[in-house]
Amino acid sequence: MIPLSSYLILGAIMFAISVAGIFINRKNIIIILMCIELMLLAVNINFIAFSHFLNDLAGQVFVFFILTVAAAEAAIGLAILVVLFRNRGSIDVSKLDQMKG
Amino acid sequence: MSFTEIVFYAFSAIMITAALGVISARNPVHSALFLVLTFFATSGIWLLLEAEFLAITLVLVYVGAVMVLFLFVVMMLDINITVMRQGFIKYLPIGILVALVLVTQMVLLVGPENFGLSQFAEPALKAADYSNTRELGRVIYTDYVYPFEVASVILLVAIVAAIALTMRRRPETKYQTPIKQMMVKKSDRLRIVKMQAEEKQ
Amino acid sequence: MLENYLPVLIFICIGLITGAAMVVMGGFMLAPRRPDPAKNSPYECGFEAFEDARLKFDVRYYLVAILFIIFDLEIAFLFPWAIVLEDIGVFGVVAMGIFLGILVIGFIYEWKKGALEWE
Repeated sequence: MIPLSSYLILGAIMFAISVAGIFINRKNIIIILMCIELMLLAVNINFIAFSHFLNDLAGQVFVFFILTVAAAEAAIGLAILVVLFRNRGSIDVSKLDQMKG
Repeated sequence: MSFTEIVFYAFSAIMITAALGVISARNPVHSALFLVLTFFATSGIWLLLEAEFLAITLVLVYVGAVMVLFLFVVMMLDINITVMRQGFIKYLPIGILVALVLVTQMVLLVGPENFGLSQFAEPALKAADYSNTRELGRVIYTDYVYPFEVASVILLVAIVAAIALTMRRRPETKYQTPIKQMMVKKSDRLRIVKMQAEEKQ
Repeated sequence: MLENYLPVLIFICIGLITGAAMVVMGGFMLAPRRPDPAKNSPYECGFEAFEDARLKFDVRYYLVAILFIIFDLEIAFLFPWAIVLEDIGVFGVVAMGIFLGILVIGFIYEWKKGALEWE
């Protein structure tokens, strides 16, 4: 039998990998967006594991809505990225400092 | 080691390897494809947790649509890969350090002594005629009807935002307007002029 | 319940083994591999390649993909609804009616904006 802790540790490892990914791919905003998707996935694993072990369907409903919101977020994020690339000709995160006071 | 455990560890290994591939691949296209593999392995894990509907939805929506969108964007922007890789080595130690600290903390918290089988017993396996989709549907459209309607508003916002941001008409493109072509009458185009026959010179 | 998915797992395993076997046999065991610089260089009529082989995609594909995602999610919400429709009755029909109505607003918007036209 697989204990709940195995699933939670798996989620923790996935989350840590995506945090490290944001750290090391500081220039590439596309990879950063992918890492955010990975983070949401890690959180979803936890939700579903708890939903299974506590026998409560609310966790799965929550994951369904997270999937919806994450898809909308990816769509809008990539739209902003496309407009950014069109106006600037690069997607370098460190150059996005126009709003710095 | 039971068969389910073997499946669990196999899927977990694929998932973690693919996730490491996502963050370390040189080419963003490879990253996106690794992310697809991660999603597939995750959907296997979710099947083990008896969340069938969400496992299928993950493959349908994420692998089928969101990752295609990512691939389109990667291919739409031609990015200089070498410039994008700057700082990779420089930030690698701190990235690994943060990840290790994070994993250690979380494992101490959610490890087997707090969330092991003695605290959370494995629930009984569902019967073969149990329908996860039916149970999910029974609560989404009744107890969670308000979040459900909010989800549609979020999707509406996504449609409007995507169109408002990326749509642009190109004035220089030449269009055909079939309806106008159909409506053209002979009198619009052709003018018959009566004139005298000219004399031969 | 899980044992119903055993055929799927076997299918995945066979697929992986077949694919891996083909790559390994074709790429490393059977095919002769004697690369040299001339073989590895891109073929372009005798001169060096001018530019990257990859072409940029047009932004119009992106718009189509994004609209596909939205309506894909809408369909994902329709599946459980269709299964439990007789349990939840009129309330479910009204709930889904509002949901679809809000998304139809978005559909009308994109139609009027001309996002569905391929100029």
